[in-house]
Amino acid sequence: MAIIQPGKRPSARFRRRKDLLGSSDRAWSFFVGGKGGRGQKATNAEINVVSMVDMMTMLVIFLLQQFSATGEVLFMQKDIKLPEAQHGQAIEVAPVVAISNTQVVVTGQKVAEVADLDRDPGYLNIPALEERLREEKKRWDFMHQQDPDRDKNWKGDVNIQADVKVPFRLVKRVMYSCNQVGYFNINFATLEVSGEKQAEKPKL
Amino acid sequence: MGGGAMPEGGGKKGKKRNLDAIINVVPAIDLLSCCISFLLFTAVWTQISRLQVQQMGTASEAPPPEQKTLTVTLSLTERGFLLATSSGTSTEIPNMGRNPDGTPIYDIKKLTDRLKQIKSDYPDQVAITVAAEDSVIYADLVQVIDVCNGAGLTNVAVTAAG
Repeated sequence: MAIIQPGKRPSARFRRRKDLLGSSDRAWSFFVGGKGGRGQKATNAEINVVSMVDMMTMLVIFLLQQFSATGEVLFMQKDIKLPEAQHGQAIEVAPVVAISNTQVVVTGQKVAEVADLDRDPGYLNIPALEERLREEKKRWDFMHQQDPDRDKNWKGDVNIQADVKVPFRLVKRVMYSCNQVGYFNINFATLEVSGEKQAEKPKL
Repeated sequence: MGGGAMPEGGGKKGKKRNLDAIINVVPAIDLLSCCISFLLFTAVWTQISRLQVQQMGTASEAPPPEQKTLTVTLSLTERGFLLATSSGTSTEIPNMGRNPDGTPIYDIKKLTDRLKQIKSDYPDQVAITVAAEDSVIYADLVQVIDVCNGAGLTNVAVTAAG
């Protein structure tokens, strides 16, 4: 009994080829990339990668346009749907006050429940919010304690990330509290849209 | 890949030089793959912008030099807009009905036209005060501020109406 060495064998479709019939050596050499006897065809298969490189280049250009060096200043939250605006400026790093329909959050820490705020509408400020913003301001002061122009460089920026359905009476209280602490430059976070998209959107 | 064709009939037999040049694009593909992976990880898909406002009476910048300006106050109420200027003109722009959820539908187009007219009459004018009622929802307030910015009135102060 002949000893058959295991390894690569020509597939079934090669067996049907007439020029390879009865010649296992030729079939084998055809399979492994040698020259195929009579025709002497080169069997090196070259894959044309030009189109793939083109596609990857396009992808890189598209993704570079989307790239933002500042990173994500705001984290999108499920319960906050931002309003859309056409004429916004680039957002900057600043403390974020997130106002949803249920709670007020400052940089990830809850400071008030909306239901509690609605219960005492006579007050304008939100003490817990003021306290939290004071801590943020202290942190900024500590980080800039070596800066001789610290007071001049203080811009007092704060980002307000509020849901579209939040009433102004709540936004007003948050703005007032920010002002009490020294955050005078209030930035309303919006989703940037192009003019065409805004025109397609039904009016509120 | 790129290469040149062999000139016909040129050269002696046996001394034909292959002019086909093969450029190895594997490093380029590797580099592009790394770039795509990095950019995909760091891509920011939602473009968030900001509309800067001040609360009334807390101007953070020094007042501009004397210019031909006036005080423009835009009241945002449940009934619509009321645009008043210190020159004595007052324009009421009523809302166009209500949405199914009860919120008013504001006539943004008419407001835009009126603000652009003010800006054309007073090119130095950049300040406007938006006075909103407590019941006005945040989306409407932002839309009005956006319209003001679009009309060239970029120094928006927000206050409570009434």
